[in-house]
Amino acid sequence: MKLDTSGLESAAPVWGAPSELVGGFSAAPSFELPNTTDFDVFQKEAVKMVKPAKGTTTLAFIFKEGVMVAADSRASMGGYISSQSVKKIIEINPYMLGTMAGGAADCQFWHRNLGIKCRLHELANKRRISVTGASKLLANILYSYRGMGLSVGTMIAGWDETGPGLYYVDSEGGRLKGMRFSVGSGSPYAYGVLDNGYRYDMSIEEAAELARRAIYHATFRDGASGGVASVYYVGPNGWKKLSGDDVGELHYKYYPVIPSTVEQEMVEVAGA
Amino acid sequence: MSIFEYNGSALVAMVGKNCFAIASDRRLGVQLQTIATDFQRISKIHDRLFLGLSGLATDAQTLYQRLLFRHKLYQLREERDMKPETFANLVSALLYEKRFGPYFCQPVIAGLGDEDKPFICTMDSIGAKELAKDFVVAGTASESLYGACESMFKEDMEPEELFETVSQALLSSVDRDCLSGWGGHVYVVTPTEVKERILKGRMD
Repeated sequence: MKLDTSGLESAAPVWGAPSELVGGFSAAPSFELPNTTDFDVFQKEAVKMVKPAKGTTTLAFIFKEGVMVAADSRASMGGYISSQSVKKIIEINPYMLGTMAGGAADCQFWHRNLGIKCRLHELANKRRISVTGASKLLANILYSYRGMGLSVGTMIAGWDETGPGLYYVDSEGGRLKGMRFSVGSGSPYAYGVLDNGYRYDMSIEEAAELARRAIYHATFRDGASGGVASVYYVGPNGWKKLSGDDVGELHYKYYPVIPSTVEQEMVEVAGA
Repeated sequence: MSIFEYNGSALVAMVGKNCFAIASDRRLGVQLQTIATDFQRISKIHDRLFLGLSGLATDAQTLYQRLLFRHKLYQLREERDMKPETFANLVSALLYEKRFGPYFCQPVIAGLGDEDKPFICTMDSIGAKELAKDFVVAGTASESLYGACESMFKEDMEPEELFETVSQALLSSVDRDCLSGWGGHVYVVTPTEVKERILKGRMD
């Protein structure tokens, strides 16, 4: 019986006709490649140009009530801050979220592509795709582009029939199932706060505050993270945005300035 | 990232009416990681002369110690403080001595000269002086600072207005730089007093 592999095909034109020798599976979907004499050098130049810096902080964790997802909103180009208001939590469909770390264009495009495939799966199979399935679709696509300079470090978080699901997927082709992840240059700082404060039995408010604090601490220490700390919750009825707090204001909320006594008022200057 | 961007810094000095202001950010980092948020980049040479040093923090500290030493010797020999123009020449000479193994710093010098006339200047890392009548900038956020100062600067500002202008220019520029910020430090110097203020800024 021929397996239905239409879900594996992308909208992009297939490069080369499907061969009978590979057992009916069509060739890996791919974009047109440029005509260069030395493709390896071209690849290296492309990777250097894109500069996969992954300057960001994103995190997600599973707890008793569902999945909590949080991210900062800064985009940096080397030392320059190009934007303080980037949406790094991408809504794949009403019950699945993806986080963005790495190249913005890569993450936005492939998440939207994943959303399309998930919808096609729903229409073909008359049921929603699982988080396991969705993350596998994305991981397979990214694996086929391995070495071409894509920069994607994402977490797929959602709620399906088996309950809450969280997967980490990256452009090297890795895919990991887990309970707690943080991705980006600010992730070590976020992990410190997250690992310390995490309990499985937390209420939604406690979990949101933990996620917010972890992002705030990462933005304080990491130069490439900042802007607004967005917190999303994924539950049995889908995702909901809980808060979007400016981290500049969060700092003075967590550490208010206490007016202190003045040490020196006036300095006598010679020759006044 | 280049060696000048290793620690991250932002410095600006502006001239007002018989006064000047010199301001810096407060971050000390190691590339993207922030280590301290209370780093002193501006030092007093004497009551009417301030030196700010941007760039590599270790070179900034060493250079400041050497310059303070030279100024103390000058005070002992001449029995008076150095004029800002003279001090600028001293800094330039000291930096050029290391022409083929330079200090990775960009100094900003601000002082009150004869007849309380404000004097500001900046230099590159090998001592090329740049005198300006209005403002000078240095550090990783220098391009943003140029833009902010150019649009906000007015001639002959009084000390209070000068403080507001320098603070706004500094804070808005470091908010566009990953490597500087985390607060601000402003000195406003007039012939009779020195006002030191800490700015509340974005800590991200």
